[in-house]
Amino acid sequence: MENAWLIPLFPLLSFVFLLLFGRKLKEGSAYAGILLTLASLVFSVIVLVERMAAPASYKAEAVWLKIGELELTAGFEVNQLNALMLVIVSLVSFLVHTYSKGYMHGDDRFHVFYAYLGLFTFAMLGLVLSPNLLQTYIFWELVGVGSFLLIGFYYFKNEARAAAKKAFIMTRIGDVGLLIGMILLFWQVGSFEYDEIFAAVEAGSISGTMITLTAILIFIGAVGKSGQFPLHTWLPDAMEGPTPVSALIHAATMVAAGVYLVAATFPLFAASETAMMTVAIIGAFTAIFAASIGLAQTNIKRVLAYSTVSQLGYMMLALGSAGYVAGVFHLMTHAFFKALLFLAAGSVIHALHHKQNIEEMGGLWKKLPLTGPLFLMGTLAISGVPLFSGFFSKDEILIAVWAHGNYFLFILAVIAAFFTAFYMFRLFFMVFTGEARSPLGNVQESPATMTMPMVVLGVLAVVAGYVNTPWFGTFLGDWLVEGNEALGHGHIEGPAWIMIVATLVSLAGIFLAYLMYYKKSLARDWFTSRAPITYSIVRNKYFIDEFYNLSVVYATRSVSLFLRFIELFLVEGLMKLVAGVVSLLGKSGSRFQNGQIQTYGMAAFLGLAVLLLIFALTGGYIG
Amino acid sequence: MSSVPITAFLALALILFCIGLYGALTKRNTIIVLISIELMLNAVNINLVTFSKYGMTPAITGQVFAVFVIAVAAAEVAVGIAILLALYRNRRTVNIDEINTMKH
Amino acid sequence: MNSIYLSLLVLSPLLGIVLLAFMPKTGEKGIKLVGVLATLPATVLALLAYFSYQGGKDLADYGEKVRWMQFGSFGQLDPNLFTVYYELGLDGFSLLMVVLTAVLASLAALASFHIKREWKGYFMLFLLLEIGMLGVFTAQNLILFFLFFEITLIPMFFLIGKWGYFNKEKAAYSFLVYNGLGSAVLLIVIMVLFAKTGTSNIEALKVFLNTEGAQLPTPVSDSVKMGLLIALLIAFGVKLPIFPLHSWMLRVHVEAPPSIVMLHSGVLLKIGAYGLIRFGMGIFPEQFAELAVLIAVLGVVNLLYGAFLAFIQTDFKMVLAYSSISHMGIVLIGLGANNEAGIQGAIFQVVSHGLISALLFFLVSVLYERVHTTNINNLGGLAKGMPLTAGFLLAGAMASLGLPGMSGFVSEFMAFLGLFREMPILAAVGCIGIIMTAVYLLRAVLAITYGRSDRQYAGISDLRSFEWAPVLVLIGLIVLIGVYPAVLSQPLESIVLGLGG
Repeated sequence: MENAWLIPLFPLLSFVFLLLFGRKLKEGSAYAGILLTLASLVFSVIVLVERMAAPASYKAEAVWLKIGELELTAGFEVNQLNALMLVIVSLVSFLVHTYSKGYMHGDDRFHVFYAYLGLFTFAMLGLVLSPNLLQTYIFWELVGVGSFLLIGFYYFKNEARAAAKKAFIMTRIGDVGLLIGMILLFWQVGSFEYDEIFAAVEAGSISGTMITLTAILIFIGAVGKSGQFPLHTWLPDAMEGPTPVSALIHAATMVAAGVYLVAATFPLFAASETAMMTVAIIGAFTAIFAASIGLAQTNIKRVLAYSTVSQLGYMMLALGSAGYVAGVFHLMTHAFFKALLFLAAGSVIHALHHKQNIEEMGGLWKKLPLTGPLFLMGTLAISGVPLFSGFFSKDEILIAVWAHGNYFLFILAVIAAFFTAFYMFRLFFMVFTGEARSPLGNVQESPATMTMPMVVLGVLAVVAGYVNTPWFGTFLGDWLVEGNEALGHGHIEGPAWIMIVATLVSLAGIFLAYLMYYKKSLARDWFTSRAPITYSIVRNKYFIDEFYNLSVVYATRSVSLFLRFIELFLVEGLMKLVAGVVSLLGKSGSRFQNGQIQTYGMAAFLGLAVLLLIFALTGGYIG
Repeated sequence: MSSVPITAFLALALILFCIGLYGALTKRNTIIVLISIELMLNAVNINLVTFSKYGMTPAITGQVFAVFVIAVAAAEVAVGIAILLALYRNRRTVNIDEINTMKH
Repeated sequence: MNSIYLSLLVLSPLLGIVLLAFMPKTGEKGIKLVGVLATLPATVLALLAYFSYQGGKDLADYGEKVRWMQFGSFGQLDPNLFTVYYELGLDGFSLLMVVLTAVLASLAALASFHIKREWKGYFMLFLLLEIGMLGVFTAQNLILFFLFFEITLIPMFFLIGKWGYFNKEKAAYSFLVYNGLGSAVLLIVIMVLFAKTGTSNIEALKVFLNTEGAQLPTPVSDSVKMGLLIALLIAFGVKLPIFPLHSWMLRVHVEAPPSIVMLHSGVLLKIGAYGLIRFGMGIFPEQFAELAVLIAVLGVVNLLYGAFLAFIQTDFKMVLAYSSISHMGIVLIGLGANNEAGIQGAIFQVVSHGLISALLFFLVSVLYERVHTTNINNLGGLAKGMPLTAGFLLAGAMASLGLPGMSGFVSEFMAFLGLFREMPILAAVGCIGIIMTAVYLLRAVLAITYGRSDRQYAGISDLRSFEWAPVLVLIGLIVLIGVYPAVLSQPLESIVLGLGG
């Protein structure tokens, strides 16, 4: 564990190396990236195993910046949560590196893509290892830049440019919340260190309102990064980036950083009922809100994006309902099955020569013999069908919400689960079954570099759930909260009927999708024709983007224009005044210059007389 | 010695200087202006001589300086009249109001 | 005590001026070479001083003091009374500023390779400007400071007025009028202080004005001190610039040649901050604390005003000009906080913004050289034709918007850390500026580099030969400060502890 700091350095090395030499290596760049992330993965697994065997966490720090007598430190920490995150991040990153070798084949800026991936992986691993809020914030921003660069990878597309800009700015709005919360905490506690903050919270040396305020501010940061309502609109647009990026950043790792942040500062949230409630409500609302938008989207990646937003809402809901284990558990399983879904979607897109509209797809099950079943596995996992990983983690969340007494939010979560099952299977049926709805051209299964990572994730999407089940024991949960009461219990008891309800709901969703899109015994427009207005609202994502355009963007522009008005009239007026006074002085001075030596002499004489008069009256000293 | 007080000499010099100054600043004829300047210089001479006699440290320096001033004044008048003649030949006037080329 | 090290450092560009005077007007290559080489001795000496300081050398050893002028006959009472010395010296802050100036001057001299005509006059003025800047930061008394301060104005006036763009004369005059007024006010302050205390030495003034019952020729009342501080605020506020005294600076940024703007934005604006910290805060600490709220408010106004106006500009140079105003707001915010974190943040911002704006303006110079416009509506898709320039432009923008790992973040963070302690509400309002900075920089930079390219960039070359040096040096320093801020914070330790209210 002492050498855990090496883990983020491998991808950093990859970034620097590829920036310098990538141009010459061309597609050979992939090997550098793959090997170095493999090294990270190996180290991460070693660290995880060591942490499991070790009795306590490990932390090392050095002074980074001195401000007068204050010392800010930087270092790294290995505890249960970040040991687990290390493995998730480096594993998904390694798989995506491998996958991209096939997906990005033939791109002019192949090496740049790998360099960016390296930068992102470095930042994400650094974020996970941070022992204090300041360092977290530093890597938090770097992760944002990695995401920004990768979304804008196809820089020549205006849509990609807009999406990258939007992603950066919207997450930055959240980041400012985090920054303010962090600084306020600092002046309360005198330190950015997590342990010291938690100790201060426990000792009660921070007032209750301050805890609530800072917790909510930190949560705003998480809202931005995790695409929670109302800062969610950047995430679907971020799908302009290459699909492996969507899998790595906008499904498995970076967007989960918001959830990770709340989990890492969980004792702070747990100390404030209001903050917990806020997290839970925002989470639940986002879960159902995004799921409902997902029902009506036709772009394969956008459907997945909205499902990501919705699943992240689930995790927030879990954390807000004191279900620390449930949140982290779902974060893990979601990383696997959502990465799988994105990679499989990427495989479909790759096979169809960058077609993304599901209305134009169909009947791909036979043509893509590997991708099809893998996509199905992911779909089953996310829908919460029993025996797949998503089932266990979602069940855990529902139990936590019920146990916390948030019955209304519980109902929302169940409806969201129904929506999820429905739109995921809608997606599956429309893409893989039936007849092709447009000429698809020559469709071929993707190369092995792309399918192998999917197989690995497919296995994980099934088995990852078994580390924490009510049937075989809650290993993960017990281990996560070991030695830290503030995080709650490793396993929350809940009534058994919840599991049955969850299963029934997801099966009902699947059945409805089956009727509509496979059997077609229920007309597709059965619902849309009955409630056209609702459909149009949902299809247009509740007009949130339009609303922001009209309000925030417009307001900013008007403030700017107003200030320009001030600039033009007030400041320029001042400028004119200054210039005017100077030239007036000059002009009136030059009137004396009439060429009459006698006038000059008179002026000199009068000046002398005035000076002498003053001298005589004041005795030579003024003031 | 003499019963004339020092203030009498200084008052004479002051009056002479003021007449000169007035003339130099107001007269239109350049010749008169030159004469007025001459008056002022002589006022200064009176002062110099007075203080060389009645000053705190009487010395011959003051009188020497007066001689210097007379010499310089003579030279100045010579140059002044020369310029004036040159101007008169060009402009047919010695009226100082019309001599304002310094403005340009 | 009396080494001539600093005199050598400050006056070394003079050698170049003399050499240039004897060179033929048309020898373009030779003139440029001499121009660049003449900036190097100062850079080497400055870096040497920095490293030997890091190696444990005492900065007081660089002090230098020679009797220069004596006013009146007070010499019999006290040989120091009303005596002006020629005295140079260094402390941690001025050491950093000297290093910054020397390095930026060398890089700006390289950037001056883009100058198209009358190289001889250009480089002579350029070197004179460098002398002035170096002198400002090493002068140990106000009169010498003022002298060097004025030396910077004159070359600047000609450099803008002669080698600038279309409206260069107007820009040069507005520069001269505003800064002339500023230095007039400064001169009044200096003369009042000198007349009342009999000394112009900065350290002595600090002691005299802040000791109860100090023996002064004439006493200085508190209200006079406040008046002097406000006058200083105006004098340096013009330079910094503080809203609403900034319009001259916009013209200079847009009209002056980019190599000069590198120095102007990188160093000359910083004289304002340096003066406020050294004189305002150093000599009148109590009055400064009273004005802290005002200064913090001015800082937030600067930050937001600059940011919002940068958002609607169409000329990239104009965006950068407003961004300078906005970033100087952060200096004021740090000073307004008036605690250790804030002051250190302000000083960091001074150095960091110097590097970042120099980088961005150098890239503007590179860009203009090739496409002859800086209007963002006429550009687009630059990343296709000039991927390296586009990449560095993006990196510069990221540094400017305060990306962690680069210098901008450290300074911004510390300034806000400081202000949140004193005035949390105001600081929270200021945080809108952080978002707006990202908005306007990305808007401008992405419009230039990303998107469909409307014009053909075929045949346009990317960064070449000498253009690499400034870019790499500046990026290197920016990242170095961002990752390892101790390079700056260590020399500042004693300063910040001494100033922190």
